Amino acid sequence: MRYGGGNRSRLLLIILIVSSLFLITLDLRGVQVLDGLRSGSQTVLSPFQRAGNTVATPFKNFFSDITHLGRTRNQLEQLRAENFNLRTKLINRKNADAQLKKYKSMLDLAGTGDFKILSAKVISQGSSQSFSQSLTIDAGSNSGIRRNMTVICDAGLVGVVKEVYPNSALILLASDPSFRIGVRIAGTQQIGILSGQGSRKAVLQLIDNQTTLSVGDVLLARGSQRNRPFVPGVPVGTVIAVDNSAGAVAQSASVKFYTNFSALGVVAVVVGAPKTDPRDALVPAKPRPTPIPTITILVTPSPSPSATK
Amino acid sequence: MITRQLSFSGLIFLSIYTLQESFINQVRFPGGSFSIFLIFALVWSALSTPEVGAITGFSAGFLIDLSPSSSGPVGQWTLILILICFGIAFLGFGDDKSRGNPITIVFLVVAGVFLAEVSFLITGVLLGVNLGSFTQILIILFGMSIWTLLITPFTLPIFSRLHAFTFDTGSRI
Repeated sequence: MRYGGGNRSRLLLIILIVSSLFLITLDLRGVQVLDGLRSGSQTVLSPFQRAGNTVATPFKNFFSDITHLGRTRNQLEQLRAENFNLRTKLINRKNADAQLKKYKSMLDLAGTGDFKILSAKVISQGSSQSFSQSLTIDAGSNSGIRRNMTVICDAGLVGVVKEVYPNSALILLASDPSFRIGVRIAGTQQIGILSGQGSRKAVLQLIDNQTTLSVGDVLLARGSQRNRPFVPGVPVGTVIAVDNSAGAVAQSASVKFYTNFSALGVVAVVVGAPKTDPRDALVPAKPRPTPIPTITILVTPSPSPSATK
Repeated sequence: MITRQLSFSGLIFLSIYTLQESFINQVRFPGGSFSIFLIFALVWSALSTPEVGAITGFSAGFLIDLSPSSSGPVGQWTLILILICFGIAFLGFGDDKSRGNPITIVFLVVAGVFLAEVSFLITGVLLGVNLGSFTQILIILFGMSIWTLLITPFTLPIFSRLHAFTFDTGSRI
């Protein structure tokens, strides 16, 4: 028999819907209680996220590694032969080495730009069910992190600190659809606005319609007033396609971020801005082509048989 | 009796929510991942009365809204899940054939996840939330539906047993 409903269930449904609409209204009006609830939930969850991160580390990028399975098949087969303890140790060691390499690169980048940074470990990736791009790090206000600080990694810009809790912070990734940043093109110094698109690609809208863009142009953060939310000079990405449609008011382009957002293990929060704008000092070096060795073969003709006789 | 049901339900909800936030979110799945908590809430509703379904939707939606990585305003997921969970419970309630059939429940859950995500997109647009490129949205929507289709049959027996244990009902899937 189909459920026909009743006054009680209808009343309950109406009460719940009205409550949710009430919550939406409170949140949109910026009532502090709801922010406090979110902050509280993050404070409660962060120890679990740390534990989850430790447990998930060995197979965190398992699915992305699968796409490169052909390349690593031999390596995987070798690893399969080893016992579980050795494998875990190896993975942990690899992870530590990769993190160390990233820390070193981050320090290089920060040193060149004269940024004062605070490194932190990623303890949680944001859920994709809300179509947002964020992550949580294991350092918060107790470590000196404040809202609207720039977050970088060894490759360049990661995002901006959106929320700060005592021992963790929520980072809005540059790939988030709501993310906007003022950028300038290294060299020409033309400025534009870069918008996240939910993936590693972003859209650049130039402000000046006289400017011309070309594929391969490097984009750097333009910097904000008092260096928050963005410090100047941080590498953001490179132009991969230019939209040359005749009717466009300003030129636009597709940009690929330097940062691979799905493989972030450690990041650095810029807690101290440089005294002077580093300008183009942080433009990543172009990869040098490997020189092809020239092989010269000298052939000495053997004496003809007739001559030997 | 009601105290026991509430405390057990609360404990189970919080455990699965913590599992989702601290563990599932850590792993990058291709094509948009999945939400074990959303699957759980929908399965729980599919096995319950419409009243319990609506309360399940309210609690689950509120917990998702409290997640720091949630982008919309607090209350958006609550509103969506109240309606979706009530709808799923309403469709299944009183019809033991459909409630006892795992294929129907899997279908209801996949449809529920898809509808919830689409509703989130629509209400997000109305509330001025930026949602990203159309292609990315499509990838997440279909990726999530496929992951839900793959995961639900494995989790259904566990959630069904938890539901039977909490509400002291004999029927299990």
